[in-house]
Amino acid sequence: MLSKRQARAFFLGGTFVFSAAFVGLTIDTHRHVPKQTNAHLITPEVVAGKKIWEDNNCMGCHTLFGEGAYYAPELTKTVERRGKAWLRIFLKDPEKMYPGRRKMVNYHFTDEEIEHVIAFFEWAGQVDLNGFPADPPLRDALAATSGVEYPEPLPLPVPAILETAACTGCHRVAGQGGDAGALIGAPPLDGVHLRKTRDELIQWISDPQAIKPGTAMPDLVPSVISDAQVIEIVDYLYSPAN
Amino acid sequence: MKFKSQQFGYWFFASAMLLLVLQVLYGFIMGFAHMGYDNLHEWIPFNTARAVHTNLLVVWLLLGFMGSAYYIIPEEADREIYWPKLVMPQLISFLLVGVVAVGGYHVNWWEGRKFLEIPRPLDWLVVANVLLFLANVGMTIWNGKRFTTTSIVLYLGLLFAALLYLPGMIAFDNQTLDSFYRWWVVHLWVEGVWELIMGGMLCFLLIKLTGIDREVLEKWLYIIVGLTFLSGILGTGHHYYYIGTPSYWLWIGGVFSALEPVAFLGMAIYAIAVARKGERKHPNRIALQWTVGSAIVAFVGAGFLGLAHTLPQVNLWTHGTLVTAMHGHMAFWGAYAMINFAIIAYALPQMTGRKLWDQPSAMLAFWCSNIGMICMTGAFAVAGITQVNLERRMGLDFLRVQEELHVHFFGLILAACLFALGIGFFILNFIRHGTPNTEAIGMDVDGSISDEGEFATS
Ligand code: HEC
Ligand code: HEC
Ligand code: HEM
Ligand code: HEM
Ligand SMILES: [Fe+2]
Repeated sequence: MLSKRQARAFFLGGTFVFSAAFVGLTIDTHRHVPKQTNAHLITPEVVAGKKIWEDNNCMGCHTLFGEGAYYAPELTKTVERRGKAWLRIFLKDPEKMYPGRRKMVNYHFTDEEIEHVIAFFEWAGQVDLNGFPADPPLRDALAATSGVEYPEPLPLPVPAILETAACTGCHRVAGQGGDAGALIGAPPLDGVHLRKTRDELIQWISDPQAIKPGTAMPDLVPSVISDAQVIEIVDYLYSPAN
Repeated sequence: MKFKSQQFGYWFFASAMLLLVLQVLYGFIMGFAHMGYDNLHEWIPFNTARAVHTNLLVVWLLLGFMGSAYYIIPEEADREIYWPKLVMPQLISFLLVGVVAVGGYHVNWWEGRKFLEIPRPLDWLVVANVLLFLANVGMTIWNGKRFTTTSIVLYLGLLFAALLYLPGMIAFDNQTLDSFYRWWVVHLWVEGVWELIMGGMLCFLLIKLTGIDREVLEKWLYIIVGLTFLSGILGTGHHYYYIGTPSYWLWIGGVFSALEPVAFLGMAIYAIAVARKGERKHPNRIALQWTVGSAIVAFVGAGFLGLAHTLPQVNLWTHGTLVTAMHGHMAFWGAYAMINFAIIAYALPQMTGRKLWDQPSAMLAFWCSNIGMICMTGAFAVAGITQVNLERRMGLDFLRVQEELHVHFFGLILAACLFALGIGFFILNFIRHGTPNTEAIGMDVDGSISDEGEFATS
């Protein structure tokens, strides 16, 4: 059996060997990280965004790179998922996009701060994370068994207003956007003319909360879009009928 | 208890109990928020509650470790604490830093990195405070009459814990590097140097409670902490899978972290074997129960539940979900909360001269808190696995899935009530012991075994 001296030698020797290996790997990691994380894209805006991220402890609700808290969405791919226009409106007033749902703090960011936060997320979304977050493997299987028939996509190009007004942050339109919104019940807008009349569409988009209080679709008129722009959107949504 | 200065431990333990109560309170706030009742959002948003919950946890555990060191080291070194006058100022200044930090979290003053939320200026105060503590304990060992393995392992654990705090203070513009060094603190603490502290405390308690030969126990202590470092240092790689670090960490982290449970298994077998073999029974059975319980629950919570999500193929799906919270709760509870409870259960009668170990409240504290924690772990597990399947594997929206989880958080709260009841009993028992008194100095309260296994008189 081992003596106490040998046991101590095992402890000290093992600790030394594995600490040395760890330091070696740390040095090598430092060599690889700049390339893997696109360090050349870390602009002053990205750094400013990171500071906002830290100063407000966003990690106390959210995860980024899968690290943080489990109360609010993982944000690594948020720019890809939502688009910048949607994020701009969201960060101005988070509750607007999710009335009545789990709350985020409203930080009353300035436009500049919002750009910094978005720059930080955009950089984060491009880091090579060895495959995280993975595509959900069962999503396609579910779609195949659900028997939903997809209507003809709306014609391209999609008017820019649908992106700047954040519609594509939730809705799928002409084969674009909408991954995040589909599952909170935001339907694809292709084929909506088959379900709703022109007037219904105008009323709905102008004031969804009045028609269906508590719906997950936010009121965007007049704070984000004007009445004239609503008409422009409805013209587009109705274009297949003409 | 042999020396007067060992009684300082009491004030550390008492402060730890107070912070534990606050920690649990903030735990409930988060549990309710997860269930859909975030009524306190305006005043205590979730991120505040979380920072308070986890920081109080770390602070009370550290207070417990410090109190244990002030209790154990004089006995091991066979002399009084070197600078007894510095002990209380050290405790009070440590608490003050803690109060300022927790207050700061309520007004959005923090550093925003999970577990290391303390703002930089306060970091420096923590460092200064811990250096003072280490100097005092170190001088006691250095000038002691005896030089034991138990005290060396305990001291090395505390010293390395302080040193490893420093890399966490380096700032980077690159989120990946920030994260990389955050783990030098978080992982290398709980899966490295804190295990030395735990091992030292475990060994001390087993020597005191079973009367088994010190040489044998200390030999195995070396082997166990050797296994800890052998696996745990490179095991840090299980946090480097998906944060933007090279992909070789996937297999290095996978292989070495999968070995980490061996050290915890060793600790559990060691404690059980020693407790069964111990010929002379110390009458303080409840202290032994906490000691052995700690080793077993640590193996389940850290070893087994850690292993469950440590391979990269699994972690890809569970990374950053409630599965992690499940593991975090039972691991912290078993390994570090319970070992502190063990030393408190052993030391309180020694410091106050009151033998309350046969009280029903002592038993109830053990069983309510442990069964409560097992059920909490179960609730987190069901919530976590559901989250992984619905959100990560089927691709449902985050918030939509969270709404499906409300019911499991109701379960969590029920379990947490049982847990909190157990904590209540423990604290009740703590208070009933009263404060340390001079009569307890110089006698061994159990009156049966002294250090080297001989009968002492009292
Ligand atoms: C109190 C918890 C909390 C804090 C703190 C918090 N958030 Fe959120 N955040 C949420 C919740 C909950 C959601 C989900 C939407 C909602 O209900 O508003 C969300 C959603 C988001 C989204 C949209 C994610 C998506 O892809 O759908 C972004 C972007 C975001 N937060 C950024 C931030 C930033 C930046 C900070 C720090 C300045 C922050 N959050 C702090 C709770 C929080
Ligand atoms: C925060 C996500 C969100 C945003 C942004 C959003 N919507 Fe919606 N929208 C929804 C949801 C959810 C529904 C389903 C509402 C319900 O039934 O309660 C919906 C419903 C609709 C409908 C009715 C669809 C049908 O089949 O009945 C239309 C039309 C619509 N939205 C248009 C728009 C337009 C145009 C915009 C941009 C100006 C927009 N939405 C922005 C979430 C959103
Ligand atoms: C009444 C009891 C408790 C309740 C209701 C509770 C609840 C919670 C909740 C809801 C979270 C946040 C998870 C998230 O980010 O969404 C959390 C985090 C945490 N709690 Fe508790 N908790 C309790 C007691 C404890 C105890 C006793 C310990 C330690 C022994 C503990 C250790 C932790 C740790 C380490 C985390 C961070 C986990 C992680 O980041 O993965 N908690 N707790
Ligand atoms: C007493 C010892 C341990 C404690 C207190 C503990 C606690 C924790 C905590 C609090 C976290 C969350 C950390 C964060 O996200 O900031 C965590 C993560 C993790 N732990 Fe442990 N742990 C212990 C031992 C182990 C062991 C032995 C293993 C492996 C066998 C393990 C595997 C993991 C893994 C893989 C994660 C990452 C989870 C993720 O990707 O989200 N842990 N642990
Ligand atoms: Fe770890």
